[in-house]
Amino acid sequence: MIKIKIRDASQQLFAWVSALITLAACFGIILFLLVKGHGAVTLEFLLTDPNPTFQAEGAGGILAPMAGTFIVTLTGVVIALPWAIATATYLSEYAKKNLATAYLKLAIDVLSGVPTIVIAIFGVALFTNPTLGFLSSMIEGVEGVNKAFGKSFLVCGIGMAIMVLPYMIKTCEEAIKAVPNAFREASLALGASKKITITDVVLPSARRGIITAIILGMGRIIGDTAIVWLLLGGSIRMTGQQPWWHLSNWLSTLQNTGSTLTTYIFLNSPAGEGNKPELAFAASLVLVVIIVFLNAAAGLIGFMGKVKEE
Amino acid sequence: MAKIFFEDVVKPTVFSKTKISFNLSALYDKLWEYAIFSLAATGAIIIVLIFVFIFMKAWPVFQASGLKVITTSNFEEQIRHAYFAPLDEQLWEFGLLSLIVGSLTTALGALFIAVPAGVGTAVIICEMSSGLLKRFLEAATRLLAAIPSVIYGLVGLMVVIPLISDRLLNVELQIKYLEYFQLNGYSMLAGIIVLSFMIVPLVIALSVDAINAVPRKYREASLALGITKWRTIIKVVIPAAKSGILAGVILAAGRGIGEAIALSMVSGASANMPSLRHGFVFFLTPVLPLASAIINKSQAISVPSIEAALFSCGVILLVICAFLSISTRIVESAVRRRQGLD
Repeated sequence: MIKIKIRDASQQLFAWVSALITLAACFGIILFLLVKGHGAVTLEFLLTDPNPTFQAEGAGGILAPMAGTFIVTLTGVVIALPWAIATATYLSEYAKKNLATAYLKLAIDVLSGVPTIVIAIFGVALFTNPTLGFLSSMIEGVEGVNKAFGKSFLVCGIGMAIMVLPYMIKTCEEAIKAVPNAFREASLALGASKKITITDVVLPSARRGIITAIILGMGRIIGDTAIVWLLLGGSIRMTGQQPWWHLSNWLSTLQNTGSTLTTYIFLNSPAGEGNKPELAFAASLVLVVIIVFLNAAAGLIGFMGKVKEE
Repeated sequence: MAKIFFEDVVKPTVFSKTKISFNLSALYDKLWEYAIFSLAATGAIIIVLIFVFIFMKAWPVFQASGLKVITTSNFEEQIRHAYFAPLDEQLWEFGLLSLIVGSLTTALGALFIAVPAGVGTAVIICEMSSGLLKRFLEAATRLLAAIPSVIYGLVGLMVVIPLISDRLLNVELQIKYLEYFQLNGYSMLAGIIVLSFMIVPLVIALSVDAINAVPRKYREASLALGITKWRTIIKVVIPAAKSGILAGVILAAGRGIGEAIALSMVSGASANMPSLRHGFVFFLTPVLPLASAIINKSQAISVPSIEAALFSCGVILLVICAFLSISTRIVESAVRRRQGLD
């Protein structure tokens, strides 16, 4: 009897300890970044461009990486969103139960399991193709090489869109399936066509889920490093026409390379070339704050949906 | 797939038998359906393109080395030779066994820690806690899942590596193994620890779903028989949820094998073959998993043979991960079928 009690108690202890470790890891990581990074985060750090140097002074700030994260996220979401909504609409409103639909579902499942690094090298294979050179730039000055450079914000955004597509499809599909059938029937009974029913009734009713899908996709894009590393490159500055933030240079900025917060962290960590951990910590802190805000926004939208239902 | 029928678009009206009115709105509807279908089809084609492109790029390596790709291991030296080989005498032979072993050992090691801990945490979240603590745990899990891998890598680099090199290493040990590899804290063990924190939220999230899906009546029946709450959880709830948990474990395995950045930062970045003969040092071997190899050697990707070698790493990753996704799907459909029968 005592043996059984000891066994049960030790099992419970194990479960509690693992839960507490999870909790501690989460807060530990955030606290660690806060302690190590808060000193370097100043307004100047946020608003100056980085400067490749070996000294910690004069290394500049993270304006270009933050702008890079913003550009990549925006291009990724803008490409992925219509794609995801269309696929989700097709799957939930039009698809019949046949082989093609089964294949489509399987393809999305397999795509969601493909590691980001594989999507990244797929991008390398695809976008170094000279016919797609307009997305980045052509390699010039090397004899006998007819290849595109294959690294730019546009290319990176497309890679990101492929990466988040399956997740966004799944979230959108759930949202569309959750719209009550009565809505569709009422619209169709009023004489609206199927297209009007979907665009004017079903999708607006599913908007909360679609916004959640956007936030989810943004979170994944912001946190990804592998795709940025291979499709945007390892330079921390913008390489387009300077000044990069000038509106007339927008195309040149998009067609050239730069960095995001994640590659900035990687390059400044002891694993990268910069080796300025204090800057890496500061940038990590900024990144985590963005992620926490996104998480909170997703939570808030879910909470508001629940309140409205009740 | 929908078809446009002539009658859908061009309909004779009731009023005149000779005049045919053009039903624009129906045409518009059909075009819209086509547009949606073609977008959906693009997504399905992308995965085929991924397979085709990566296989095509990796083909020269498979052609030159045959089965040696997965049975021999001399990656570092082969890369070095390939890098300095003249452009018209490229070396295409590569052996990736040590990378495959590196991937499998780190992923399995991380699963070995993360699965019990994740299921334990899920039990606490679903059955043993309520109110503020429960919400806290849920929020922490979500946040852990959302923290980017590069931050895990950075924290691992600054916390786990010094811990390992201070506690587990000494000069004697380092000298003893100098003929095999350099022991400096960057190791499989560091990779396992960092990776287990990365995949634990996945295991927790899917286990929570699986445990919540267990019908209430199971618990009530067990409790009514006089079995304690904890024994009910261990003997009734977890066995009923085990297929769902298994799906989570497979998903976590895929994530672990595909993880590139964090592992390339902590696991040592040199393709050594961990050997069980070294005893405990097995875990301290610096390894290079497949995904990290692509990141680590990407600087040399302009050499065609190295590019092909990295793409063959991609092929192996792709095959493993596709296999894992399909098995998740099979497990999930089995779960759904059983729940339908219940």
